[in-house]
Amino acid sequence: MANKQIRYEALVKALHGDLYRYGYWLTHDKQVAEDLVQETFLRAWRALDSLKDEKAAKSWLITILRRENARRFERKRFEMSEYDEANIMDTQSPSNEQDIENHWLRDKIAKLPSEYSEPLVLQVLGGYSGEDIANMLNLNKNTVMTRLFRARNQLKDALEKEPEKMRFLYE
Amino acid sequence: MNNKTIPGTNVTEINVNKNSKGSTTRNNNPDNNISETQFDKKLLQAMKVPVSDDLYNKLMLRQTFASHQQKKRKSRIHLALAASVAIIASLTVHYLHFSSSYTTLGDYALAHVYHEQDAFSNNDTNRVSLTSLNKKMATFNGNVSQSLGELISADYCRFGGIKSLHLVYKGLTDNVTVFIVSKEEHLAFTANFSDNTLQGESLGFANANVIIIADKNESLSQWQRNINSNITWSI
Repeated sequence: MANKQIRYEALVKALHGDLYRYGYWLTHDKQVAEDLVQETFLRAWRALDSLKDEKAAKSWLITILRRENARRFERKRFEMSEYDEANIMDTQSPSNEQDIENHWLRDKIAKLPSEYSEPLVLQVLGGYSGEDIANMLNLNKNTVMTRLFRARNQLKDALEKEPEKMRFLYE
Repeated sequence: MNNKTIPGTNVTEINVNKNSKGSTTRNNNPDNNISETQFDKKLLQAMKVPVSDDLYNKLMLRQTFASHQQKKRKSRIHLALAASVAIIASLTVHYLHFSSSYTTLGDYALAHVYHEQDAFSNNDTNRVSLTSLNKKMATFNGNVSQSLGELISADYCRFGGIKSLHLVYKGLTDNVTVFIVSKEEHLAFTANFSDNTLQGESLGFANANVIIIADKNESLSQWQRNINSNITWSI
């Protein structure tokens, strides 16, 4: 029992941040993301004995979280409201140029269609390869590569065009 | 994490190169062009939305409650298991102890006598008075008018689950046991029974059966007559 406790604590400590961020980009809502992470870790605790390979922990947790998220839609299909665009961003005002750019880029990521943003988040935040992502999302590897490519291009395009405007606006 | 190269990126790079080799030139302004690594860094930074400090604590708290609940549930299950085992055990013991593996009054009476053989000796000196015997006989609506003999012991006991009175008299060579047994259906009445050392007789009365068991030196008919004439049964 004590051993399980230690494993769980280590798991939470190491992965709750990434998992929350993943949940956030999946749902675009801080509160919902937190709830998802809580649900996910609760399930993880109950099933912790089935996790044999610690290296697989992250993708295991992500899989649980995705399932939880899907369940949320089954459960609350009629309660769900469209997320408020203003809600997506942090409320704190950006303090420096870096923050401004992050802020701006977040907006752009959030506006990507979810089939693009999800693989991208897994790649950038999770550090997964196209093959890993394909496995996790039950997609063909080529599909994943295409989506990653398009997502990155859209963002890059935007990034290359916009910063001048941004700087102009904030300076 | 920041400085980590991201797997899969190289594939994208190839794609981008292919693209830029093609006819569509997306980035014709070289000043504005950013490298893949720079781009990845920016992406990562943007995606790293701040995580609430509370989240870790909240997660630990939820888990503590969850495991507490689990423990409680587990101990409840253990308790329930223990209880069931205890019940089954006691039922088994009860069944074995008082089971009607004996089908006749005679068989049971013999077994009972053998079971308590060591508890009484023909040389025991304590005697039970007629008054205290009659107090006990009152339960069976019976009354003993004149002593049947020297009464060593008189106690209630269970006779195959039936309420009974167990009387031990001093006999010629060994104890004579008399059972007063409530009338019940589940043991068949046997008028005479015996084995190698003991013999017995059952007398059926309105309120109870009387069973006499003694060794073969004893005259059961004598005891039978005594009982017939000295015990009166009220309704």
